[in-house]
Amino acid sequence: MNVVRAWIEERLGLRAVTHFLEKKEVPRHKHTFLYYTGSSILLFLGIQIVTGVLLAFYYQPTLAEANASVVRIMTEMPLGWLIRSVHSWSATFMIAIVFVHLLGIAFTKAYRKPREATWITGVLLLGASLAFGFTGYLLPWDELSLAATKVGTNLPKALPFVGAWLTQVMRAGEDVTGDTLSRFFIVHVSVLPLAIMAFLGVHLFLVQRHGMSGPLAEEKKNVKVPALPFWPNFVFREAAVWLVLLGVLITIAIVAAPGIGPKADMMAPAPEGIKPEWYFLFMFQTLKLFPATILGLNGELFALLLMMVGMGLIAFLPFIDNRPAERKGRIISGLAWAGLAYAVGMSIWSLL
Amino acid sequence: MTRRRRWFSILTALAIVPCLFAAALAAWGQDAPTVPVEQAAIKSPVQQAEPAPRPPRERMAVYVLLAWVWFSIVALLGFLRLRIREADRVFHMGLDRAAEKKPKESRP
Repeated sequence: MNVVRAWIEERLGLRAVTHFLEKKEVPRHKHTFLYYTGSSILLFLGIQIVTGVLLAFYYQPTLAEANASVVRIMTEMPLGWLIRSVHSWSATFMIAIVFVHLLGIAFTKAYRKPREATWITGVLLLGASLAFGFTGYLLPWDELSLAATKVGTNLPKALPFVGAWLTQVMRAGEDVTGDTLSRFFIVHVSVLPLAIMAFLGVHLFLVQRHGMSGPLAEEKKNVKVPALPFWPNFVFREAAVWLVLLGVLITIAIVAAPGIGPKADMMAPAPEGIKPEWYFLFMFQTLKLFPATILGLNGELFALLLMMVGMGLIAFLPFIDNRPAERKGRIISGLAWAGLAYAVGMSIWSLL
Repeated sequence: MTRRRRWFSILTALAIVPCLFAAALAAWGQDAPTVPVEQAAIKSPVQQAEPAPRPPRERMAVYVLLAWVWFSIVALLGFLRLRIREADRVFHMGLDRAAEKKPKESRP
């Protein structure tokens, strides 16, 4: 055994990594639970990869076969319906926990110097997760997914100069067709996984490089926060959280397995009551509430520009909130709470 | 309820709440669209395939599987609880750092 270990060590030099993990500490304070959200995201990402590969064995991204292949997965493959359900629900859970992770970091101001780049890669990971959801929604190729994709890909059209081009790039043509389906499939199974792995690699490296951020108040007072060893104390706790989340995921996947609608008909009118995935609902409701023209500008364009400004502010939050302990930081926290209340309120409103 | 147990309960609840909130929103979104009944009858899409198996035997098998999953999770949580307590005891007694503090033996 020692010979094998020595052989591996000589080639890979893993001793440095294990030594680092043995020395690594996790700050212990009232917000420690937020540290578990990061690893929970990794758990759901892993489940997504495994179930996604299993689904890809049988899924066919063509106009004639996409819907039928999903029906076959659900009805003919052993436990195919469960694998699809776990894939779908783990996506929902992953995005929910990505939001909690990001909000937790935002409200505890953990993005403060020197962790600005960690925050930016985190926002990029959120963007990639949302893109996963958007591209995956079309793949069953049923009436609702086609209609929702038409609405979603039509949005950039309102932008001046690049809008029409962006829509064309997303749709691989003028309208949502079989080419769009192929493009979304390729983006979903190869482009986005590569992007997420790259962002995740940088994000994890930065988290290890700077360590986990402690509470702002203690840092201000120059007080050393008590810490917990990462291995084994924190890892065992993480494992317990993973087990509970896994149980909840499997239970919900069994109890509320998603169905599939009839094959999309490109010539048919859009069905009533189209709604996007839950994480896009607040944007959807905001767009619905905007009047046709505001100050002479197209209402849709105005809403779109407002959202882009909002996303930009979120991405560069560490540079805007550069004095987190002062009055400016408290005002930004207040605005962030208001933004969160707005997003939750709008999402619930759009479902009523 | 000990402090550790209370802490773990809060942590577990906090981990589950956002997932359940997202699940409720997602499930709500999957429901039939809110349109007038006569319109919905014509236009809202119907399910093409059953989301889960219908035969009672298969359904029962799935619920038995779910019961086994939870049974295994509870057993593993019990095991992890013991390991966490042991690891915490070792940490509080400083045994994990004892090897580093030991002075180096002088060589002849």
